[in-house]
Amino acid sequence: MPCERKPIRYAHAEGHTEVCFDEEGKFIVTCGSDGDVRIWESLDDDDPKFITVGDKAYSLALRNNKLVTATSNNTVQIHTFPDGDPDGILTRFTTNATHVTFNSTGSRLAAGSSDFMVKVIEVLDSSQQKTLRGHEAPVLGVTFDPKDEFVASSSCDGSVVVWNIEEQTQVVSWPLLQKTSDVSSAKSLCRLSWQPVMAKLLAVPVDTKVHLYERGSWDHVITLSDGLITKPINAVSWSPCGQFLAAGCVAGLLTVFDVTTKMCLERQKHEKGFSVCSLAWHPSGTQIVYSDTMGCLGLLDDLSFSNSTSKSTAKPPSKKPANDYDDLFDEDDDDRVMDEGLSDTKSPLKKHAAAEADEYDDDDFMPLTGRVKNRGAILDDDNSLDTGSLKFGQDKFGDKDDDDDDDGGSLVAAPSVPLVPLQPVYDGPLPTPPQKAFQPGSTPAHLAHRFLMWNSVGIVRGYNDEQDNAIDVEFHDTAVHHAMHLTNSLGHTIADLSQEAVLLACAGTDELASKLQCLHFSSWDTNKEWMVDLPKGEDAKAVCLGQGWAAVATSALVIRLFSIGGLQREIFSLSGPVVCMAGHGEQLLIVYHRGTGFDGNQSLGVQLLQLSQKKRQLINGEPLPLSLKSYLSWLGFTAEGTPCYVDSDGVVRMLNRLLGNTWTPVCNTRDTCKSKSDHYWVVGVHENPQQLRCIPCKGSRYPPTLPRPAVAILPFKLPLCQTATEKGQLEEQFLRSLLFHNHYSFLSSSGYEIDEEGQTNSQKEQQELLMKMFALSCKLEREFRSVELAEMMTQNVVTLAIRYASRSRRMALAQRLSEIALEKANQAQEDEPEEQEEEPERPSVRRPSGFSQTEVTERHYSNRYNQEEEEDQGEEVCEEDEVQEMETEETAGIRKRSNPFAKDSASLVTPSLTPVTKVGRANPFKLPGSGKPSPSSVQPRLTNILDNMTSGRKSTPQSGSAGKSNKIPVLKPLALKPKSKAQSTLLQMTGAASKKNQGNTEPAVDQQKQPEATPPASTTEENKRPKTGFQLWLEENRKNIMADQPDIQETDIIREAMGRFRTLSAEERLSWTERAKGQTGDAADVKKRKRATGGGEDVENEDVQTDSDQNGAKKKKSLDSSSKLSAFAFNKN
Amino acid sequence: MDPLEVEFLAEKETVKIIPNFSLDKIYLIGGDLGPFNPGLPVDVPVWLALNLKQRQKCRIVPPEWMEVEKLEEIPFSMGLTKLLLTHASDNIPKADEIRTLVKDIWDTRIAKLRLSADSFIREQEAHAKLDNLTLMEINTIRTFLLDSLNCMYKLRSNLQQGSSKGQFSNY
Repeated sequence: MPCERKPIRYAHAEGHTEVCFDEEGKFIVTCGSDGDVRIWESLDDDDPKFITVGDKAYSLALRNNKLVTATSNNTVQIHTFPDGDPDGILTRFTTNATHVTFNSTGSRLAAGSSDFMVKVIEVLDSSQQKTLRGHEAPVLGVTFDPKDEFVASSSCDGSVVVWNIEEQTQVVSWPLLQKTSDVSSAKSLCRLSWQPVMAKLLAVPVDTKVHLYERGSWDHVITLSDGLITKPINAVSWSPCGQFLAAGCVAGLLTVFDVTTKMCLERQKHEKGFSVCSLAWHPSGTQIVYSDTMGCLGLLDDLSFSNSTSKSTAKPPSKKPANDYDDLFDEDDDDRVMDEGLSDTKSPLKKHAAAEADEYDDDDFMPLTGRVKNRGAILDDDNSLDTGSLKFGQDKFGDKDDDDDDDGGSLVAAPSVPLVPLQPVYDGPLPTPPQKAFQPGSTPAHLAHRFLMWNSVGIVRGYNDEQDNAIDVEFHDTAVHHAMHLTNSLGHTIADLSQEAVLLACAGTDELASKLQCLHFSSWDTNKEWMVDLPKGEDAKAVCLGQGWAAVATSALVIRLFSIGGLQREIFSLSGPVVCMAGHGEQLLIVYHRGTGFDGNQSLGVQLLQLSQKKRQLINGEPLPLSLKSYLSWLGFTAEGTPCYVDSDGVVRMLNRLLGNTWTPVCNTRDTCKSKSDHYWVVGVHENPQQLRCIPCKGSRYPPTLPRPAVAILPFKLPLCQTATEKGQLEEQFLRSLLFHNHYSFLSSSGYEIDEEGQTNSQKEQQELLMKMFALSCKLEREFRSVELAEMMTQNVVTLAIRYASRSRRMALAQRLSEIALEKANQAQEDEPEEQEEEPERPSVRRPSGFSQTEVTERHYSNRYNQEEEEDQGEEVCEEDEVQEMETEETAGIRKRSNPFAKDSASLVTPSLTPVTKVGRANPFKLPGSGKPSPSSVQPRLTNILDNMTSGRKSTPQSGSAGKSNKIPVLKPLALKPKSKAQSTLLQMTGAASKKNQGNTEPAVDQQKQPEATPPASTTEENKRPKTGFQLWLEENRKNIMADQPDIQETDIIREAMGRFRTLSAEERLSWTERAKGQTGDAADVKKRKRATGGGEDVENEDVQTDSDQNGAKKKKSLDSSSKLSAFAFNKN
Repeated sequence: MDPLEVEFLAEKETVKIIPNFSLDKIYLIGGDLGPFNPGLPVDVPVWLALNLKQRQKCRIVPPEWMEVEKLEEIPFSMGLTKLLLTHASDNIPKADEIRTLVKDIWDTRIAKLRLSADSFIREQEAHAKLDNLTLMEINTIRTFLLDSLNCMYKLRSNLQQGSSKGQFSNY
């Protein structure tokens, strides 16, 4: 059972020290030769509370909020705990006391002194004391029998004596130790200890061994020793369950023995080898705290054996659960009280009472009514009076009860019922102390120099040292506001910062109410500041700023909303203590404790409110998922407004609005940490570009204010499976893209302007990824998976996928895909039947070269030639419009080619290319010769598919032209309807158009442009077309047309526009065309050439011809494939 | 080359700054810079960094080696150090110490350089190789070393001529 040895820390001046836990184990309490008692919240507590008790403190004992110390002025005195007020002197000796200890109930105290005496004093009535005389040298250590009959003491005269308290006589005396004259010269402090709970054994450290004596017979029954112990043992301490014994020795060795097996379970060497002079167990039995003669304090953590064997305690297991929960809830209440700093002296008492009552319940003898009592006890101290130390054993039950009744007369006696030694060994889940409220982006409040806030707007720093108590506000962007320096006379500890204001809050004191101060620097009037006092007794716990509002969560479990100008706008209750809040725009995100967490886990709830015109709650107090045993460390919004948080394990989670407001882990900052103790302190999250802005902190969780920390950027990575493989990577990218571009839909739905281009790009990216995944799964012969992917694609991309499938001769797949395409087409048409006609352009605008993979591109490329040739042969009649159109097609093709993404997929293409090459390019329907089983066999299938598609179209005439619709768009204005619906566009082909074209291999002809023969299978190309000169012209002149004929239909506009455009002079038209070319930018050479030829079809065709000749094989391939594809996707016959 | 020229060259080095303004990418002949996001570190050439710094538009993040601990013995750039220390000493923690340390290193290295030049001349070697000199160091010693070698060569050749050929006898 490995335990963790925490590094020791300096606690007191050099010299004897002593240490113990308080009953709940919340504090470590130490005393030392500097005369101070220090109260540590944990080993890392840098600012322990201290109580000065005298010049030197020799020993301390703590029970029932009474802190008893033995000091150099020869007295044993009481202080209240944790306040540290003197509470009288318990007893005096003629010289200093050496050791003090409480009995198990805390009702009596035993003190051993250098004047050879041991005194047993009633805590409540110090006049009732019993003096045990008989030692012939200073007393080293004393310990009570848990059953309160005996006291054992060790002395420098070498004897260990067991005394009967009532009779004040020696029961037994063993000469065990070396004789010395004084405590300081003693080899060992011989701090003996009586076994708690069972009270069966008395442990006495004797040189390098521990002797265990049996109660009653006083026989030496067990000797515990370990080979590693070479120096005398100074002190021994029993675990709360009485199973284990810890021993600390002069050379600094700490050992833990299991008493039943006599085995040494744990050995830890003191870091510096100092002599351990005191050690104490945490009430839970999982920690041992120790101190040495050099004033250092250390801790052994995670001692895991106690839980496993705790069954040995007499608890009836069947009864445990109920009790446990009672216990936990009680504790939780108490914790909260402590947290909120309400140190009402009564409440701890009540708590004890409650805890006791629980123990009471525990006992088999207690009838069910015990529970009722128990509840009552929380409110009524008197109820706890009759609770006994039932743990002692059932045989003793009656006696104990009597004892307690004796005590019952006084009110104070009630809480003084045993807690620590009796604590039921509870092996169920333990409640976690709830984490305190914090401001995301702030460093801990105890630091003298700290960040009150670091967010995407700026930095608020607080200085609180001797010279200065001030707050610095600095903006990342100095355009927002210049830096500010404020004196912090109110002692603000909480801050938030936005583009509009700085919000500060301080906790209230006895005299002053908690204040909220807002520096509204963006205000246009001269009053740039307002301040609000919270009601008496209500403290600000967390604040946040949104756009035009401020929120403060208080200890009264309410959230108050203010307008940024200082109006009180709302107040509402929270169902638990707040943990933190964050604001962004009109959204308010609140995290609070929704209950008690167990075993290190927090139990947090989250609320997300929309404070816009129609206020509503988007997330209603659902649990906030955190990593195991972690707590919340940052909460906020991405720059785009998606809620986001980070837990102490470094996992960043983001709200997934697509999946019913679930939280998706998007990054683990710990993955990038080099060392275990390094952390990233998150300061901001951006979705576009995807950036996690954080500050790397070496060896700590938060950065210091100096030197000024630098921000680093981490990428996001969804923790998907197998991200080492290409599949995993693509999946991760796709999912991430979906998640991180989700904010567009949210923003647009809540009425914000969105970056259309960014959204288009993101969709393009997603479709690209889908296509890549599709290609990959095709390669891996995963056709089912391919179909799954195709279902996620937009219709346009599905047609690409169909081509891909048919090219790689997966006819079954292609067929399925075509069904999907059809389905999508129908669906799209159902969704928006009217829009189709009006927004034919959408698809082409939307997905320019997005998904073009090399193959695809090549194919397009070849298609183009194909088309051109056909046009060449077929129609010489073309008008300039056509030329323009062709140009657009060309440029589109070029664009596709220039797509950087193309390279990646090149490998995918290769296998299928070879067979294709041999096919003549003239016949679009000819099947590749070599490598194919038989052309004839394939063709029927192809036609089959085609038939299906056509039939499908016929059955739904509206959707008939599904694949082809893209052709029309060329003529229509691109920019007019930027918001048109996404994928429906494929279907633009109208029934009329298709009818007209029936019998023609080139099906897709625009309604207006019937005479033009558009090449088959050009859909994708057209999708990517840049604007033609006509389109540009149309964009400019559309309004004029509209103005002239307000009632004009969309299609008519184009027709009209076309007419007007033709009336322009040739030069003008040419200039428009040139402009259009200019827009396409980095077109490839081929295209440029073609453009140069401009109006003349012949030249162009020739060019094409030559090009194709030059490029030989490649083109043939592409030609062939294109024809095949066209057969699948577009042929109307 | 004089030190100013060396400094000028050093201005091409990149350094990290934290801008306090927001600007899109800027496209320059030497390459694209930015985008500049307030509060986010970005790499820019020193000349730009200094310019922005002087206009109080950024904070300069001192290079990693510019720390007291790391300035023990490492190659460093005198030009860059000087530039940063003069113009952005407020952004560099312990600037004074660093200045002293850099000066120390500089003195040590120059002393070593002089020493080796001295022994080079003393032993009348014809060829010597010296690695790991910074530009600034080369420029510091070049003028003087070359001139003095030249001078000495003249003196020596005259001396030899005189001794072997009895040059004065001609007159």
